[in-house]
Amino acid sequence: MTVRIGVFICHCGHNIASTVDVEDVVEYAKGLPGVVYSGRNLYSCSQEGLTSIKESIKNNELDRVVVAACTPRTHEPVFRRACEQVGINKYLFEFVNIREHCSWIHTKEKEEATKKAKKLVAMGVAKVALLEPQEEGESDVVPKAVVIGAGLSGLSAAAALLNQGIETHIVEKEATVGGILRDIAVIGPDDVDAQELIRSLTETVEKSPKAHLHLSSKVTELKGFIGNFELTIEGGGKEETVQAGAVIVATGGVEHRPEGEYGFGELKGVITQLELEKILGSGELGARRIVIINCVGSRQPGREYCSRVCCNASLKNAVRVLDTDPDASVTIVHRDIMSCGTVAEELYREASDRGVRFVRYGLDQRPEVSSEGEQLVVEVFDETLDEKIDLESDLVVLATPIVSPGDSSETSKLLKVPRDKHGFFLEAHVKLRPVEFATDGVFVCGSARWPVSARECIWQGQAAAAKASIPISEGKVVIEAITAVVDPEKCAACGNCVISCPYDAIEIVDTESGRAARVSEAQCKGCGTCVAACHNDAIQQKGFSSRQLGAMIDALIRATAEVSR
Amino acid sequence: MRIAFEEMKADRLLTARTEHGNVAPVLLARGDEPGELRTDVPYQMANILLRVVPYLGSDKIAVVARRCDEKAIAEMSKRGLLDSGKISLIGLACDAEQVSECRCSDPCPSKVHIGECVKASPTDKVVEDLLAKSISERLEFWTAQFRKCNKCFGCTSNCPVCFCDECLLEEKTFTPEKGIPPGFAFHLIRSIHLADKCVECGECERACPADIPLLALRKMVNRDVKELFGFVSGDGETTSPLLTTLDGDSMEGDNDVC
Amino acid sequence: MTEFKPDILAFCCNWCSYAGADLAGVNRLQMPTNVNVVRVMCSASVKPEYVIKALSQGIDGVLVLGCHIGDCHYMTGNHRTAKRIPLTAKVLEKVGIDSRRVKLDWVSAAEGDKFQQVITEFVEEIKGLGPNPLREVRF
Ligand SMILES: Cc1cc2nc3c(=O)[nH]c(=O)nc-3n(C[C@H](O)[C@H](O)[C@H](O)COP(=O)(O)OP(=O)(O)OC[C@H]3O[C@@H](n4cnc5c(N)ncnc54)[C@H](O)[C@@H]3O)c2cc1C
Ligand code: SF4
Ligand code: SF4
Ligand code: SF4
Ligand code: SF4
Ligand code: SF4
Ligand code: FES
Repeated sequence: MTVRIGVFICHCGHNIASTVDVEDVVEYAKGLPGVVYSGRNLYSCSQEGLTSIKESIKNNELDRVVVAACTPRTHEPVFRRACEQVGINKYLFEFVNIREHCSWIHTKEKEEATKKAKKLVAMGVAKVALLEPQEEGESDVVPKAVVIGAGLSGLSAAAALLNQGIETHIVEKEATVGGILRDIAVIGPDDVDAQELIRSLTETVEKSPKAHLHLSSKVTELKGFIGNFELTIEGGGKEETVQAGAVIVATGGVEHRPEGEYGFGELKGVITQLELEKILGSGELGARRIVIINCVGSRQPGREYCSRVCCNASLKNAVRVLDTDPDASVTIVHRDIMSCGTVAEELYREASDRGVRFVRYGLDQRPEVSSEGEQLVVEVFDETLDEKIDLESDLVVLATPIVSPGDSSETSKLLKVPRDKHGFFLEAHVKLRPVEFATDGVFVCGSARWPVSARECIWQGQAAAAKASIPISEGKVVIEAITAVVDPEKCAACGNCVISCPYDAIEIVDTESGRAARVSEAQCKGCGTCVAACHNDAIQQKGFSSRQLGAMIDALIRATAEVSR
Repeated sequence: MRIAFEEMKADRLLTARTEHGNVAPVLLARGDEPGELRTDVPYQMANILLRVVPYLGSDKIAVVARRCDEKAIAEMSKRGLLDSGKISLIGLACDAEQVSECRCSDPCPSKVHIGECVKASPTDKVVEDLLAKSISERLEFWTAQFRKCNKCFGCTSNCPVCFCDECLLEEKTFTPEKGIPPGFAFHLIRSIHLADKCVECGECERACPADIPLLALRKMVNRDVKELFGFVSGDGETTSPLLTTLDGDSMEGDNDVC
Repeated sequence: MTEFKPDILAFCCNWCSYAGADLAGVNRLQMPTNVNVVRVMCSASVKPEYVIKALSQGIDGVLVLGCHIGDCHYMTGNHRTAKRIPLTAKVLEKVGIDSRRVKLDWVSAAEGDKFQQVITEFVEEIKGLGPNPLREVRF
């Protein structure tokens, strides 16, 4: 196949031309294999520059284009569009960076920089000659969503989806909705009625004709990709297959049970915070002297994170105890009080003003709980007093962290989404892509992600719903063009690529030429990890094939010999 | 020898026997005349097995396998190329002569049916000598060796774990066009490809008409893989570290927020 | 004798190290001219074969640069890079090619200065090692 390559070298005003001898590079490029036109522009990306490139393409019947200028990271789309406008597939374009990677970093070495620019251009030309046209695929989106978990965040997400008219399946493994809030009466710091909140969200769901609530059910299989997921939901001895365009993970967390710590499970009257919530909710608090120990099982080696909600819950409950019984005594034994924000800080002040005692302990000297007859004694080394004190009490409340539910590894494997070392789900990028998983079309919200407050559950649920609704309302998803492709003739079905792919986009299937790997284009992100794992080059990344990169290496060697002559 | 059919309830037996005065592989069915069976098999049974399996349908097969065959079969099964459920191994322990010829460090099958295990070769002198050389001496050594290569592909085609239908090295992408001898890339690429699967059977070295000490190269690389990742080829369980994440997993990460 | 000017190939992943190299340019950080960058989408797509090919055809050194572990645009892509490239270097050493001719490092999009440092040091290192002996070996 003969190719007609055009090379355009940019002056970028002085940016390139003051270091690189552009004319010299233009002349050099004329001699490169396949090049039928080589020219230069003052500013290639300007309207004028682009027009002149397009003219040259037409006049010289070029079928591939190399622009040597700045960086593809910012300017590639500009030139690709220009190519498309004159009928060249945009994937037959190669960008060579002679500004950031050459003129700007070698300002004092004109001669060497010019040589280097020639080499880089030669490499680009070698690659472009082997490029192939690519099409960006499109695929339809099933206008439905699945939300896994019906705690506060899952219900918030579901309600938001339903309000947009999106058909939504909600899958909850327990027989009732509400998650952690099932056991909580009042949500701090601003005293929202938890049961009322759950009730109103459930009502939205139950009223909607587009909602399908699957209680005592679990997702047991997930296939497909964004826009076209197929999930199997099992519950009550039944199995159902549903199609969905997007999936939201809202599986939350559970309160850590500190078996054996501070007498928990051994001494009567030692309970967890959630148990206290239940007692307060029932209005049957008998105890008058209450000690709450914070950070039980968190912020320590093995479970380093701060669960973020426990300090506020302790403050909330301390105040609620005083509300029910103004003469009660409450002590919070803590390591630091994390009551960030305006409302929570106010709650902290209120608690202190109303006589809640705060005692600070350190990790090296933890409190000890023992029983003396009917009462409990908490012995704690008060860091402020610098001495040991005994706190007599009727009830010792352990504020333990929210931990990831035991079956989250199952969920992770099922949905092919990653977790951190504590079992919480990991977003694609914490700062840039909140609530999104790296797998397109799968989202996460609430305490499944890490312990969050009820407020955050609501807004994350809504954020996940908003993001999930984007592909659903667009109705189409664009499929990455630089995906990997397998040559089934060559493929030995060894599975190296299958194991390596970070997105699990490859499987071994039966083909006309025997068993071979197949890439699901809609799942593939085009990283090329699989390509490097394949021994016999049976899998290739479009736009970065081994022949293309091999040719660049050859070109570099050839060009080095030429320019140093 | 009839353990295959009675004990293992196999439908076929893959072994070797004398044919026209030479050792040749043979696939026997129940009731076939065994002929003069041989244990001094000069090639990898695993290799033959891989080639006959597609024709067996649902039949179960028993195969006479030395330790290296066993390991190669494990590497194949791990990759889904063989169905280990349909294969029974009749363990053949190599004799002392065989072990010393192969400089073999692991000669005893996990289950012995034929012969008796002998001691492994403690060290491989060829390897030790090479590692004792300075880097420039090594370069000189291998340059001389690789110059002898005539790109016959004896090494790849006799290797039990080189199971690609079309070998990459037959193409020009990575090995320079001119060709024979093929230069360093040919041998280095093979080394990398075998790093997580070579079972040290020595078949490549035996096959090489140019007498290049290929097994020594393999062993040195295997040693690197063991040092770097603690991985040794030959078991059917452990996924190659080259394919997994740093934690040896494919789905883990770190959530360092808040 | 003319001064030895090493010829070096660098593979940079699109998302971090290529961006880091761009940043070095934007900040006009000066560095030796010997390194030629090839853009790949992820460091994990760098086949050991490329490294081997380049060195056995006489390139003096190969750099593979990617995102820091944990930051790979493709999650765990670079975890494989972190194993393949060091192994490649070791294999080269076995046949007499100094493993220091292959270097793997992580450069983020914000580390223009690190890119400059890695390039400068690698060029110095290769200068110290001298020309790739395989340049002279003819087959
Ligand atoms: C003691 C305590 C006190 C708290 N006090 C406050 C407070 O005062 N103020 C405040 O803002 N926050 C508070 N919080 C935090 C807040 O309650 C939680 O963060 C919030 O309820 C979490 O909601 P969620 O929907 O993300 O998760 P969850 O409530 O855990 O809900 C998850 C749901 O998913 C279901 N599920 C899990 N796995 C699966 C699966 N595989 N398939 C199907 N379903 C599944 C579970 O059964 C559950 O119903 C407190 C937390 C605790 C523990
Ligand atoms: S290019 Fe990356 S995402 Fe695509 S199949 Fe290969 S490894 Fe998976
Ligand atoms: S790694 Fe290559 S040969 Fe092996 S299954 Fe994948 S494409 Fe096929
Ligand atoms: S020793 Fe040679 S033939 Fe045997 S497995 Fe290793 S590379 Fe293959
Ligand atoms: S040398 Fe590599 S490509 Fe060739 S058959 Fe062996 S593993 Fe496959
Ligand atoms: S068997 Fe020997 S001569 Fe033949 S290709 Fe392999 S190394 Fe070269
Ligand atoms: S994208 Fe940079 S290393 Fe993977």
